[in-house]
Order: sequence, then C-alpha cells, then structure tokens
Amino acid sequence: MKKKFIFALLSTSIIASLLGGCQVSTDTGVETTEESSSTSTQTSDSNASETKSDTTGNEEKITWMFWDDLEATDDLITKGYKEVIDRFNEQYKGQYHVDVVTTNLEEYDTKLNALIAAGQTPDVFICNPGANLNQYVEAGVAADLTDILTNQESEWYGTFSDGIFEGITYDEKIMAVPTCFAAACVFYNTEIFEKAGVQPPETFDELLETCKKIQDAGYVPISCSANTPWCLSMVAGYLCDRQGGPDNLEGIMNGTLDWTSETFVKAAHNLKELSQYFQDTAAGDSNDQATANFYNGEAAMLVQGSWAIGQVNGNNPEFEDKCGVFRFPGVDGGADPNRMIVKTDNLVMSSTTEHQDACIALMKQFTDDTAQKYIAEVGGKIPVTGVEIDYNKAPKQLSYIHDILQSTTGTLGFYNESLGSVEAGDTFDNAMVEVFLGSATPEEALQKVQDYFDKKVRK
Amino acid sequence: MDKLLRNKKAIVIFIAPAFILFTLVLFVPILQVIYYSLCEYGALTKPEFIGLDNYIELFTSDETMLTALKNSFFFMIFSVISQQIVGLFLAVLLTNIKKGRNFFKNIYYLPCVLSSAALGLLWAFMFNPKMGLNQILACIGIEGPMWLSETSGFITLPMWVIAFVALWQYVGQNMMLYMAQIMGISRDVYEASYIDGASPAKSFIYITLPLIKPMMITSISLNCIGSLKFFDLIYNMTQGGPNNTTHVLATHLYEQGFKYFKYGYSSAIAVVLLILCLLVTFIINKCIKVDTYEV
Repeated sequence: MKKKFIFALLSTSIIASLLGGCQVSTDTGVETTEESSSTSTQTSDSNASETKSDTTGNEEKITWMFWDDLEATDDLITKGYKEVIDRFNEQYKGQYHVDVVTTNLEEYDTKLNALIAAGQTPDVFICNPGANLNQYVEAGVAADLTDILTNQESEWYGTFSDGIFEGITYDEKIMAVPTCFAAACVFYNTEIFEKAGVQPPETFDELLETCKKIQDAGYVPISCSANTPWCLSMVAGYLCDRQGGPDNLEGIMNGTLDWTSETFVKAAHNLKELSQYFQDTAAGDSNDQATANFYNGEAAMLVQGSWAIGQVNGNNPEFEDKCGVFRFPGVDGGADPNRMIVKTDNLVMSSTTEHQDACIALMKQFTDDTAQKYIAEVGGKIPVTGVEIDYNKAPKQLSYIHDILQSTTGTLGFYNESLGSVEAGDTFDNAMVEVFLGSATPEEALQKVQDYFDKKVRK
Repeated sequence: MDKLLRNKKAIVIFIAPAFILFTLVLFVPILQVIYYSLCEYGALTKPEFIGLDNYIELFTSDETMLTALKNSFFFMIFSVISQQIVGLFLAVLLTNIKKGRNFFKNIYYLPCVLSSAALGLLWAFMFNPKMGLNQILACIGIEGPMWLSETSGFITLPMWVIAFVALWQYVGQNMMLYMAQIMGISRDVYEASYIDGASPAKSFIYITLPLIKPMMITSISLNCIGSLKFFDLIYNMTQGGPNNTTHVLATHLYEQGFKYFKYGYSSAIAVVLLILCLLVTFIINKCIKVDTYEV
C-alpha cells in the first residue's frame, strides 16, 4: 500500500512537472496594484498562451493576438511590442486594458482561424499583408478603418509615411494599420567574406562563384530553412522577379502568363543551383535554426527580411559589427535587379469588436513616436511614420538597408503572399521545396503550380 | 422491477436524458458534418450546396489526400502489428514474473498518460538534425539521417519514425488490456495443461491465445480506430511536412479546415475518416471469430 502511494505520488509529480513545463508565460510584467480585484490567470496548450494581467476590474477589456511569445523571446521587435502593451495598460489604467494571446509563428494562422471560426475573434490581431489579409477582408472579419483614419483620426493618419497603406487597401478601403516595414536582403558575415577573399556579389553568377569560394574556405555559404517553406520561397520569389521582373507576378495574376513559362523555369533552375550551397541540414532546420546558423558564425550568408536584425542582434549582440547587408543579386539578361521584396506587419481590428475606441487607442500606441523610434533604433526595422531616426543609435544593418532602399526602383510583396490565397501561396512554397529536395524537376514542380492555378484560380 | 419495466412512461423518462444527450453531442454533429461535406463552406460564409464535388475532388485531384490515405493505412497496419505483438509479449512476460511486475507495468504504461503534444515536441527535439540523436551518432562518427525531413521512399522515413514513437507511447495500453484478460484466466487451466505435459509455449498457444480473443478484438479495434484518426504526434513532430509527405487524414482535415478555411472540404475528409473507422471495425468483428469458453 505504501509503495503504491509513493508511486502514485511520484507519477503525479512527474506529470504535473511535465504539464507545467508546457506552459508558456506571456505575463507582460504589469505590477500588482493594491486595488487589483482580479488575479492573473493563464491558460495554455503546448504552444499558445493567454495572459490576463492585473486590472482594476472596471476597464474595457480587449485582446490582442501576436505571433511570438512576449516574455520568452530574445527578438528585439517582440520586446518592443511588450513595452507597447505595458505602456498601454499603464497609460489607460481604469479605462482600457489589453490581454495578450500569443502562439509561435508556425501555428499562428491556424490558431487565429480557429478562434475566428469559433466566434472568438481577438479585438486586434497582427496579420501579414496579401493572401492572409485577403481572406479576413473577404470574410468580413477585418473592420474597415477608412473613415476612422481619414476623418475621425486624420491627425494620426497624417503621421504615416506616404504609400504605406497601399498593400492593405481594398477597393479604396483601408483594412489594417501597419506597425513596421521590412525589406528582404542578403545578410553576410564580413569576417567569413574576408577570410574567403570575396566581395558582395552583384550578379547571380558572381553569387555562385562567391558561394564556391566560401565553401572551399571551409564555411557553409548560405543558411536557409526549407523546413519553414516561406524562407526558401523568399529566395525563389527573388529569383522569379530577377528573371522576369514585375511582369511575372502581374502575368500570373491576370492570367496572361503560365508558371511553366521560361522565366519561371529559369528561376527554379537557379534555385536548384543555389541550393547546393545551403547547409546540409537545410531540409530539417527551422527558420530560427537557420538564422542561428548565421549569427553563430557557421554560415556566411542569410537571405532574410530585415525583421531578422532584431533576432540576430538580440541573440548575439557582438555579431552586429561583422554583419553586412547587400541587395539580392540580379541575373545576367534578366529584369531590373534593383527591386526589393518588402512587407509591413499590420494590425487588424475585428469587425465585431465592441470596444472600437480601445482598439484604436492600442493601434495608436503601436505607431506613436516612442514605439516607432524603438522599432528602428533598437529593433532595426523601418518605421511606418515620419518619426526622426538617429541612425547612430540604430543597428548598423538598418543604415545599410536604408542605403539600399535609396537606390531601389520598385518593390514587390512575398511571392507566396501575392498569389491571391493562402493555399495558392502554399502550393508555390511546396513546389519550391520539391525543387530543393529534388523530388521533382523544376519543370515538374512548376507544372504542379500551373495545374493548381488552372483548376482553382483561373476556373 | 417487472412493474417498472411494464410502465412505458417510466422507461421513456429513464432513457430520455441519455438519449437526448447522445443525440445532441453525437448524431446531430455527424449529420451536420455530412451536410457540410456536400457544401462549399468557408466557415464565415453560408454553406452552398454543391453535391458530391468535394468527394470527387478529394479522390481525383487531391494528391495530399492520396498521401494521407497511404500514410493512415501504413500507420494502422504498422501500429496493429507492432503494438499487438509487443503488447501481448509484454503482458505475457509481466504476468509470469513475480518481482517488479507493478513497477514495470507502470513504467510501460507511463507514456500513455503523458501529453502527446509534449511528447511530440520532445521527440521532435530528439530527431532534430542539430540536437539529440544525430549528435550522439556524430560522437561515434556516424552521420545520422534527416529523421523528420527525408522524402524518398514509398513510406518516408519520418512516417517510420513517428510510427515507432507511437509504438513506444501506446504499447502500454495494449499491454494493460491483455494483462487484465490473462490475469482473469484461472491458474487451474494452466496447471491441468502442465499435468497433461504441455510446455509453456503450447499452453500459450492452446490456452492463452484462444481465451484472450475477445480482448484481441477490442484491442485491435481500438488500435485501428486510434491509428486512423491519429493526429497529435504527427502535428507536433512534422505538421504534415516536408512537402505534405507525412500528412495523415486527421492532419489533412485540420489543415484544410483551419489553415485554408475550407470547412466543407474538410468535412468531406471527416466523413471519409468516419466511414473508414466503421468499415475497419466491421471487418475486424467479422474476421475474428470468438468461441465462448467457460473458465
């Protein structure tokens, strides 16, 4: 009997500790106040968590959903968002209060969709532009912010940079508010480049030569994640654009160009050539692992959005001095090599929220000068307002990107986010992963994307 | 009692709560899913009846569905064979040892009570190319494979890996079922067989096996249904990737429903899953004949 009791006790403690270990805290660190009437509660499954921090009990409560853990992260942008939430709850104490729901990035869309389908849409949530936002706009989940921005809050609207709402405007209706702006570039390790005796390449052929020399010098030339398909797809998107320019994406969307056309086939072959210089574990590495390979000095280059600056500098502050940035190279005989993949992070307000004023106040907090200065000077991303940035304070990579943007002739969105639907984007991503893995030839993989478009998009 | 059973009102009153609850939580949702499977339904828009289009697409042009079906059947066959054999072996072994029976029983059963989500993440770390098993193999000069990322072969390596993790996790359940049945067999029967000169192997074949057949049906049915609707380990270890090669029916359903908002289409997958579960249970019950013995 005694043995059984001890066994039961031990089993319970093991299970309790395991379950406890699964919990992820997103406590935003709000200090307990004497008048607090509710205690902090957390609900969590393996990857998602919700924090209801202390309140006075009289506030209008709203929820904000985000794709990273505010507490456990080293990402500087996420830390900045945590500060925004804390400031908001402090500033509006007794009036508004925001609770945060977080998941990891990979599961964000499915968790958000599940909440929406269950009628529990967060009052405000972060959203990618393009296909993701399209589905929320089409489903009527996203609130139309045009009147609020252009009439009721015109002063706030005037603080935003010109053209920043372009990608999130549908039929002249503004459906989201951007919080920051990022451009995809090639980050490189200047030390490894020096040791290998190479310079940042300007053409794709030079890039292949550079990779070869870096490999010969004993380093991994490029770190990339095929396990997180959008990372590989970003490289593929650049190659498609370098081969065919803006006509490629436009042709696909208006049905005048097929995926099996020459420029796409060439781009897919380029991807195959380039992928031989990826790390051996590229098929299994996650995005975070691929980025870590780079900032830990194992790989010479990383093709990523400038959101990676916060991640790189947050995890390895010493790496900032040896991290250079160059524009993704053009291809000989291809299109304009000066175009950049860019995207904004956006806040969407639920069309069913009963706390519109609180939501607007939160959105304003994300785009006020304090938040925007932090985004640039600490996080290394580009602000969406005209706030003045001290580039001496900002991460060095940001000023490199700023210089590159000066000579940029045009921008494009991520290919997978520009194809009309999430499923269409995933089809493109999967085709590129197939090319990388060698389970299909570039022609076969592109034929699959074409078949999908024939059946689902151009029916 | 007889008087009560003759009173139809009393019967209705006693049966009604369970019947209503059963109908509400089981039959109504099943009928709803069947209806949605015949509709184009995006969860946020009204369902639009499209007949059998979802089913036609499912079986004629959805490559992932074919992969998911193949993987689900592989998973079912592997799980049934491996878990039944290992589970029965462990049950026989543990019923025949005197010392440490409870200890080992609890050890083997422990993975069953742990959260699959936590275990999935744990094993995903173990098979990650940068940590766990491959690091151990690297210490002895072996370059480990990409356990969860290989895409070659009819059944890909990640599916084998997940199937072995599932065997580790659920074998304890089969062991417990068989142990309960074996321990219910009277020792007198075995003693009589030993007096008649039967070896332990013969008494296992001619006494244990026939007497555990009813439990075998239960165990195999639970195994098959559990394997067909298997979700958690796969979702946590590979999320159906790389390139949809490790999708099973449940993960494909989840992706279509919650990632792409195609509720009608995912309902069609759910109906196929339901039919498969019913079919497999029916086949098992028909194929394994149970003789009744007095023990």
